[in-house]
Amino acid sequence: MKRRQFCETLAGTGLLLGTGAAAGLSRVWAFQDTSNLSHVEARYYKKLPDREIECLLCPRLCKLGDKERGYCGVRQNDGGIYYTLVYGKACSANVDPIEKKPFFHFLPGTDAFSIATAGCNVNCKFCQNWQISQVRAEQVPHADLAPEEVAAAAERNRCPSIAYTYTEPVVFYEYMYDSSVAAHRKGLKNCVVTAGHIQPEPLQELLKVVDAVKIDLKSFRQDFYKEYVRGDLQPVLDAITTVGRSKVWLEIVYLVIPTLNDRGEDIRSMCRWLVREVGTDVPLHFTRFYPMYLIKNLPPTPVSTLESLRAIALEEGIHYAYMGNVPGHEGENTYCPRCRSMVIERFGMQVKSISLSKGACRNCKNPIPGIWA
Amino acid sequence: MSGSKVFLIRGKGVFGPGGEMDRLKITEMLALGFRKLTGTRETELGLARLFARDARIGIKINTIGGRKISTRPELSLSLADLLIKNGWPERNVIIWDRTNMELREAGYGLSDRPNGLKIFATDTAGAGYETEVFSHRNIGSLFSTIQTNFVTDSISLAILKDHGLAGITAGMKNYFGAIHNPNKYHDAHCDPFIAELFDSEPIKGKHKLSILDALLVQYHRGPSFHTQWAEQCGMLIFSLDPVAADAAGWGLIERLRSGKGLPSLKEEGREPVFLASAEKMGLGRAGSDSIEVIEDEI
Repeated sequence: MKRRQFCETLAGTGLLLGTGAAAGLSRVWAFQDTSNLSHVEARYYKKLPDREIECLLCPRLCKLGDKERGYCGVRQNDGGIYYTLVYGKACSANVDPIEKKPFFHFLPGTDAFSIATAGCNVNCKFCQNWQISQVRAEQVPHADLAPEEVAAAAERNRCPSIAYTYTEPVVFYEYMYDSSVAAHRKGLKNCVVTAGHIQPEPLQELLKVVDAVKIDLKSFRQDFYKEYVRGDLQPVLDAITTVGRSKVWLEIVYLVIPTLNDRGEDIRSMCRWLVREVGTDVPLHFTRFYPMYLIKNLPPTPVSTLESLRAIALEEGIHYAYMGNVPGHEGENTYCPRCRSMVIERFGMQVKSISLSKGACRNCKNPIPGIWA
Repeated sequence: MSGSKVFLIRGKGVFGPGGEMDRLKITEMLALGFRKLTGTRETELGLARLFARDARIGIKINTIGGRKISTRPELSLSLADLLIKNGWPERNVIIWDRTNMELREAGYGLSDRPNGLKIFATDTAGAGYETEVFSHRNIGSLFSTIQTNFVTDSISLAILKDHGLAGITAGMKNYFGAIHNPNKYHDAHCDPFIAELFDSEPIKGKHKLSILDALLVQYHRGPSFHTQWAEQCGMLIFSLDPVAADAAGWGLIERLRSGKGLPSLKEEGREPVFLASAEKMGLGRAGSDSIEVIEDEI
C-alpha cells in the first residue's frame, strides 16, 4: 500500500490495515523490499568489540554479530551499530474500542487509535496475532506513518488515546516513545499493551510519556513461561511492580488456557502476590482462550473456569476482577467494592452505561480508581 | 547405524595469488567429491545414484555474510553447471536463499527464466512462505515454498563458519534459511532447534547431501567476517550424513583454532551441542569414533 493511499483510507473511514486476523490476511507476505525498512539507531544497546553489540532493551539481552537480527526479528546489527527496522513502519492501524485492549478503567467507552509494527520478543504458542508478531520486519506489508502522523491520525479520528498493541510494542520502543511524545503535545493519552518483557531502564523512561499499561501475565509459573511463552516470569513480575508503583495506570490480563495455566492454587498465589505488590485496585482480567496458532488441540476455556478463578481473585481481595471474551456475562461489569452497585455496564467491547460521577460511585460516592477523562 | 563417511576434498591451488578462485579446479573438486561419495568412477553415474533424472534440485546456500563470507557464487554455479552438464535439466535446478538482497550482496545475479537455471530467493514475488504453520517438536514455522513446492531434492551447500551462539554454522543450520522465523531458534545454543528443524519432513524428506564450503573458513568470531580469523583452507566437505558433515566441519574449525592458539569452542562454552541432539534423534553420527573422515587432494 502506498503511503498516500494509506492516509486517504485513514481520512475516510478510520480503518487502515487490520491485524493479520482482523484483516483476513491469509498469507504472510514476503515481498517487501528490505531497503524499505527503517534504519534508525536503537536507543538501548551496548557496543562490543569486533562489531558485535548487546541489546539492552529486553531481558533476552541478545548479543549479535554484524548483520544479525535479534530474537524480535526487527532489530539488526549493521557494522556494529544497532538499528530498529520498524520505526514509522506501521503494519496495523485501527480505531478500536479501548475495551478491546482491554482497558476497563481507562477512558471507558472511547476509541483508541491502535498501531503496531511487526515483531515480538517472546513466542507464545497461543498468539492471536502471530501473522504479524511472529514474523520478521520485511515479511508483512507496512505503511510509513511517522510519529507526528500517528498523533494527527488519532486526533482526526477523534480518538482521545493511542494504543500500542497487537504485537509487542517493546520491540518498536523508539517509535512508540516518539509517538507518545507527539500525542501528549496534542493532549492525547497513550496506552501500552505488552507482555512486560522489558528491561528496567527503558521501562522507567517509557513511563514518563505514557498514561496506561496493560500487562499480559501469562502464568504464575516459570515452567509455563519457558515452555509456552519462550520467556521468563520474573521480568514480567518486575515490570508489574514497577508500573504498579508508578503514576501510570495499570491493568493485568490473564489468558486462561485449559489444563495449562488454570490451576486455582496458582491463581490464588498470583492474587496474593498482586495484592501485596500493587494493591487491591489493579484490575485483573481473566480472559477466555480460543484455539490458535500452535495450540489448536485444546478447547475454549469453559466459562465456569473463568468464574471460579474470578471468585478466587475476589476472595483474595482484588476489587476489580473481570472476565473477558464472554459477552454479556456479569463479570464484564464494574461494581463498586463498597456498595456493590454496578458503576459501568458492558457488553463485550461496548459500554452500555456509566454510573460514575467525577470518578466516584454515584450511589455511595466511593472513589473508583482509574483514568476517567 | 553403521559409521558415516565424510570426504574432505582439498583443491591445490584453488586460490590464485590475488585470492581469486579457479572455477575449473572447483568443478574438479566437486566431481571428485561426488565420485568418492557414491563410490563410482564416473561423475554422472555418481550423480544418478543421488538424483532421479526428473528431480527438481534445490541448492540451498547461505548468503547472510555478504560477499566476503557467504557460499561463493563460484562454487554454487560450478555445482549447478556440473548437474546440468551431466544431464539434469537446467530448468530443474535452483540456487536459493532467503532474500534477493542477500543473494545480490553475496555476488549472485538473479535469474528466474522458465527454462534456465534459477537463482532467486523466497522473497521473490510468486514464491513466499507457506500460509499454514508447520509444527514439529519445538518448531513452529512457515516454510519457504521453494523448499516445499519447487524442490524435490535438496543439497545443503553451506559455508562453514564459527558461530557465536550455535558454535558452528554449517549444513544443518543452513536450513534456518528455509523458514520465516529463524530468529526464534537461537536460544540455548540453537539446541535442539537445529536438529528438530532438520528432522521436519520438508527438510529431512528432501535433503540428499551436505557439501560444506570450506574454501575460506571463519574459525573465530563468526558468523560475521573478520579477516584476521579467516583461513583459506581450499576444501570442500562432502557427506550423505548431515550430522557427520557438520561434525567434520567442527573438527576443522577446532584444528584451525588450536593452530592459532585459540581456546576450543567447548572451552568457550559454546560447543555445537546440537550435533549430539541430532545424533540422539537418529539424524546421523556426531562422535568422531563413528565417523570415517577420508581426505583427498586434487
